[in-house]
Amino acid sequence: MKTKLAVFLAGLALFAMAVPAVAHHAVGAEYDASKVVKLTGTISKVEWTNPHARIYFDVKGDDGKVTTWNVELAARSALVRQGWTANSVKIGDTVTVEGSLARSGVSGVNARSVLKADGSKVFSGGDN
Amino acid sequence: MKRLLVVCAVTALLVPLVVQSAFTQAGPEAGKVQALRRAGPDKGPVPRLPDGTVDLGDGVWTGGGPVQDLEAQGGLKKGELDALMLPWAKALMATRDETQEPHNACLPMGVPRVTPFPYRFIQNYTHKKPTHMFILHEGNIHTYRQIFMDGRKHPAELDSTWLGHSIGAWEKDTLVIDTVGYNDKFWFDRRGHPHTEQLHTIERWTRLTKGEMENKFTLDDPGAYTKPITMTFKAILMPPQDELLEYICQENNQYGVQTLPGYSGPQIGNAPKK
Repeated sequence: MKTKLAVFLAGLALFAMAVPAVAHHAVGAEYDASKVVKLTGTISKVEWTNPHARIYFDVKGDDGKVTTWNVELAARSALVRQGWTANSVKIGDTVTVEGSLARSGVSGVNARSVLKADGSKVFSGGDN
Repeated sequence: MKRLLVVCAVTALLVPLVVQSAFTQAGPEAGKVQALRRAGPDKGPVPRLPDGTVDLGDGVWTGGGPVQDLEAQGGLKKGELDALMLPWAKALMATRDETQEPHNACLPMGVPRVTPFPYRFIQNYTHKKPTHMFILHEGNIHTYRQIFMDGRKHPAELDSTWLGHSIGAWEKDTLVIDTVGYNDKFWFDRRGHPHTEQLHTIERWTRLTKGEMENKFTLDDPGAYTKPITMTFKAILMPPQDELLEYICQENNQYGVQTLPGYSGPQIGNAPKK
């Protein structure tokens, strides 16, 4: 099973606390901190932009169907302050993203963590 | 009670910093930044220009204004500000939710609001003496405030704007900024505290130490609040290697486009004209 889509409904108070409290916008209105997903896929696009940097990655479902997910990261400027660059990930990289699911039901998450295939963490450290 | 309020205000200020610190540990530069943040604000002496004036331009600042809640973050008691609101203002605020705020649409934050991103005070120099102070905000959006320091008065005819018409002067070691001529479009905070074009603000910026600055802010808007009220915010100097960065909010702002079903954009203004 290539796709790991796990929705954790319990014990998320800690996660809510880990989400940066100060943001360009109120993240909680768009993304549901009580619905956390963990997805593994291949990066198809990187947008090194403000007010949020974004990665798009292709995740294969149980039925073999590939879905492109839109991952909202922190602001580019916030990430740059922590030393990340547009080259911290590349198209074709396999990453595992854990984050809050978009409330609207679209394939979008606000990232809590992004792990590369070697287990290293990228894009942490910025305030959204 | 007062002590409780101070504790609440300090907590409100520190929580985002603590949360941010907890979130910074994995970044390649996080070690340096983390060490500086752990050390806390520099309690050293206030730096001064050769003429003795307090130097506000030697670094970039964060904080010093509200984001989530003007009342709570300004150190007021719960309900203290809201009790001063005129009925129409209360009714308008009751219709607002944070998804509608202009800030989400990359519109300016207004005064005294701040963002998670830093700002810098820049004083100009001329062949006579400084005449203008600018406050350059990285986000959201790239915004500059222009404060006339040459002794001029506010014009009789005001063309209402997001950031108003500001005149400034030093009162001993405090930079006093007096602003009128605001439009009614921005929200003071995510709760949606409104105002009118009659808004008059007075900011009293006092650098307490090298790393800390106080903004004592007076909100005077007879169109929306029954009497003026003063609140206090604290700004923190960022680590010395920090600089303003480019932040073009309009470049890729996807707020609400796919994530908020039925999102109809920001609620701007709606305050009655005077």
